[in-house]
Amino acid sequence: MGCVCSTGVKHTPGYEDPALLAKETPFTVSEVEALYELFKKLSSSIINDGRIHKEEFQLALFRNRNRRNLFADRIFDLFDLKRNGVIEFGEFVRSLGVFHPNAPVEDKITFAFRLYDLRRTGFIEREELKEMVIALLHESDLVLSEDVIETIVEKTFSDADIKGDGKIDEDEWKQFVAKNPSLIKNMTLPYLKDITLAFPSFVLSTEVEESEI
Amino acid sequence: MILFRNGNKTKTLNAFHIISLLEGFNLSSLFEEKKREEKEEIRFATTKSPETMVAKLESVATEMKFMVDKTGDESSLRMKRNKIGRKGRLGIMAEIWAVAPSLVVVEVKKSSGDTLEYNRFCSKQLRPALKDIVWTSGYESTPAGVVGCIN
Repeated sequence: MGCVCSTGVKHTPGYEDPALLAKETPFTVSEVEALYELFKKLSSSIINDGRIHKEEFQLALFRNRNRRNLFADRIFDLFDLKRNGVIEFGEFVRSLGVFHPNAPVEDKITFAFRLYDLRRTGFIEREELKEMVIALLHESDLVLSEDVIETIVEKTFSDADIKGDGKIDEDEWKQFVAKNPSLIKNMTLPYLKDITLAFPSFVLSTEVEESEI
Repeated sequence: MILFRNGNKTKTLNAFHIISLLEGFNLSSLFEEKKREEKEEIRFATTKSPETMVAKLESVATEMKFMVDKTGDESSLRMKRNKIGRKGRLGIMAEIWAVAPSLVVVEVKKSSGDTLEYNRFCSKQLRPALKDIVWTSGYESTPAGVVGCIN
């Protein structure tokens, strides 16, 4: 199921006109077109239906369709704007756009908040924060003990939870980021500014490469 | 003798910093077909004070024939190898954060030069030199040595 536009070319479901996407995101039309090439590749890697499924996302991120992590799950969820369990092309471009260096900071702040709100309660709870720190430390080379982690989470919470209600709401988050701007550094991917230059390989090749497991 | 501007102004790391520091999600894999040369990054915790860490890094740098540049902020250190390598002089940046009372996190990254040279420098010289100050909270040493690494 796709939409056939006037040139007779069949596009993937959820396809949106590059000119429209370029207007609504920091990408240029040719960057959106390049992203379409990437999208086609990613969305056909396991289930060839022109949409990125969770396993295809995992395959692309980890070179392993079964590997998961907390953040990949959240990112997938957030990219899936329509909440239909798959990432369509328009969603792909709009979501990536938030990471562009020229994207509005407010969008990045909101995205980060939603990213860290693991259980989608509208708040970042202490347990969620601790869970994220532990999950990441596990995957890294940095060793911190349980009590150190507890101390860090405790201190962070007391700094951020101004209202003292045991959870961080979006306002508190915004104020916290205003005091600590480096907190959203990970919401900017500098190479998105020139994707066609930074990653020429996916623009030039249209073959699907064997994935390394 | 290392002097800090404004007294001891070490950056503090809160839980969200750790999350962003550890780069839980690396979307660049979506774009790259093959893994680029993996750059080693070294992160460890230590009970040494920030000043001691800076001094230690400085002495390691000098021993290994790097020139140290302290004109940046107080809790980071830049150094460049005197010898010119394959892609210019190897440059390293070390950042120091206070995490908890008497616990400091150090992150060492390549800032310029050839990645392979950097990786070799890390495994052959830097890690062994830092071995005795890494805090492992009683965990067993990893097979790669006391300081593990992300591959």
